[in-house]
Amino acid sequence: MLFKCKNCGGNTVYAPDKGKMYCPHCESIDSEEKVGGNSLVQCVNCGAPIQLSEYTSACRCEHCGTYLIFDERVEEPFKPGLILPFRVSRELAVAHLEKELKNRLFAPADFLSAKSLEKMEGVYVPFWLYDYDANYDFAGEGTRIRTWRNGNMEYTETSYYEVGRKMEADFERVPVDASYVMEDGVMDLMEPYRYQELTDFEPKYMSGFLSERYNQREDELADRAEGKVREASENLLQGSLTGYATVRPYHKNLRIHKKDTCYALMPVWQYVYRYRDKTYQYHVNGQTGKVVGVTPVSRAKVLAYGASVFVMVTAICSLAVHVLEIL
Amino acid sequence: MTVKDYLCYFKWIYIIFAAVGLLAIVLHAGHWSIAKAVDYQRTNTACQTKERVFDYADVLSGEEEEKLRSLIARREKQTGCDIVLVTLNEPLEEYARAVEPGVDSSEYVRVYAERQWEEKGFGYDRPDGDGVMLVDNWSREDDGRIHTWLCTTGRARDAYYTDDIDHLLDNVYRYVEENPYRAYKTYVNDFYHDMLGWRLFHMNVPGFLPLLAGIISCVIFIALNWSSKGGKKTTTAVTYVAGRQPRFPVSEDRFLRKTVTSRKIESTSVSGGGGRSHGGGGGHHGGGGHSR
Repeated sequence: MLFKCKNCGGNTVYAPDKGKMYCPHCESIDSEEKVGGNSLVQCVNCGAPIQLSEYTSACRCEHCGTYLIFDERVEEPFKPGLILPFRVSRELAVAHLEKELKNRLFAPADFLSAKSLEKMEGVYVPFWLYDYDANYDFAGEGTRIRTWRNGNMEYTETSYYEVGRKMEADFERVPVDASYVMEDGVMDLMEPYRYQELTDFEPKYMSGFLSERYNQREDELADRAEGKVREASENLLQGSLTGYATVRPYHKNLRIHKKDTCYALMPVWQYVYRYRDKTYQYHVNGQTGKVVGVTPVSRAKVLAYGASVFVMVTAICSLAVHVLEIL
Repeated sequence: MTVKDYLCYFKWIYIIFAAVGLLAIVLHAGHWSIAKAVDYQRTNTACQTKERVFDYADVLSGEEEEKLRSLIARREKQTGCDIVLVTLNEPLEEYARAVEPGVDSSEYVRVYAERQWEEKGFGYDRPDGDGVMLVDNWSREDDGRIHTWLCTTGRARDAYYTDDIDHLLDNVYRYVEENPYRAYKTYVNDFYHDMLGWRLFHMNVPGFLPLLAGIISCVIFIALNWSSKGGKKTTTAVTYVAGRQPRFPVSEDRFLRKTVTSRKIESTSVSGGGGRSHGGGGGHHGGGGHSR
């Protein structure tokens, strides 16, 4: 399918800054009409051949530039329950990326040209959102230590406590990306998303962006979600054991139970940049604008800035010592 | 990043540097104006010599001696104190024990300094009056150490406490082995600043400390700006927990028992070799010494 403008026949797209469908040709708002067609080999608009991966659910025709959505990959059993529409426009994503890279002091001066940033693509990444109940039973022995001096004697008082905790936590919508091409570590760093803006899935939100259907089933990724829940539960329990110098556990039992799962699409701006024969990937959260990506390091800059800090701090300290000497 | 960005990035460091530098200039100017405002007239006519630099150990060149004499002449007018420097290179045991039988080797230089001060009649206002004398004996005594003594009298004695003397001698010892001239110049200038300043701080900052601060700052700065991970984790343990907090139906902390242990605190003893020796001079002399 694709979305055409009722007024001019152009391809309407979802505009993140407006939160509405927009025709970039005649600038009409919400003038879209759905045009059917479900070929996986040729463009519904111009008939040009298209090449898709096994998981592509939305793409852009390289010949006519129309954004195409493939019905059979957004309908059952691949229909997302929820979608988080893009809130960050391409211009804003570019601004976020430029700002972030400007803060990366040791990035080479000629890194990232403004012209190539136009190639940034918006992608809906498939995610599974898991709901879990966590129950943690903990028992152990904690010690509190107090020391004081009397004359030339030092006393140490160690108090022993029996520590018992029963913790219950409801984890809601723990996200795990279901895309092979997106690195798990990078997608984890993209979090968190503001779930209040999740909405029921509608294909129109995909117009103007690329997308994949889930690459792995929810049961295949449940281990990752459980790992996140276990780690968070452990941290929460440890956070409740305050005031102790040591805590020696003698009983720990964390039980987690999966309650529900939801398939959702999350917005990510993706930018691939080639610099000195090496590829660098940047991802911008399409809702919050958070940027993730490694930048190369300029040795000249490290040397210049590092030496400057060394010289100036040494000079200031020497001068400060001199002032104190005078005082 | 351009040169402008670079300069802009470090603007706070420049501002701090300028502020500290300005403070140093203001303080120097303050001392200078105080020194200029006071015009001490030397009233001691009984002093047997106008010489202030007695380099018997011959550790200074002729030119360096002249520079010190000139500096001392200026500082004497500004402080109203005689400032005398004596370097020796001879064992003083026999000399000191003839004056004070049973005196400790660390105080041979004290005996020498006090005797010389009295014999030559130093003192800015009168014989044995306001002034200071540094005696640095480059000869090792039987204890294997080189001893130095700062002898103070009159106003200098009133103004100088043990900490002040320690501080001044520490500064002298910082340079004396590599550059005796710089060390003795430090003695004269420190005395001048001490007599005119507020002496709020007695900093004995090791010379390498600013360098160390520079190195540590540099390492921390590079580590903080080295983006190896590509992004910061912005979720916490409660991010996906309903209501942002877990429930604790059971949270018990039950006291079981208590143990108390004790140990004797070993008292720290004063270090020996390479240390320093102090002593208030007898009678109307003050002072203190170091050894190296």
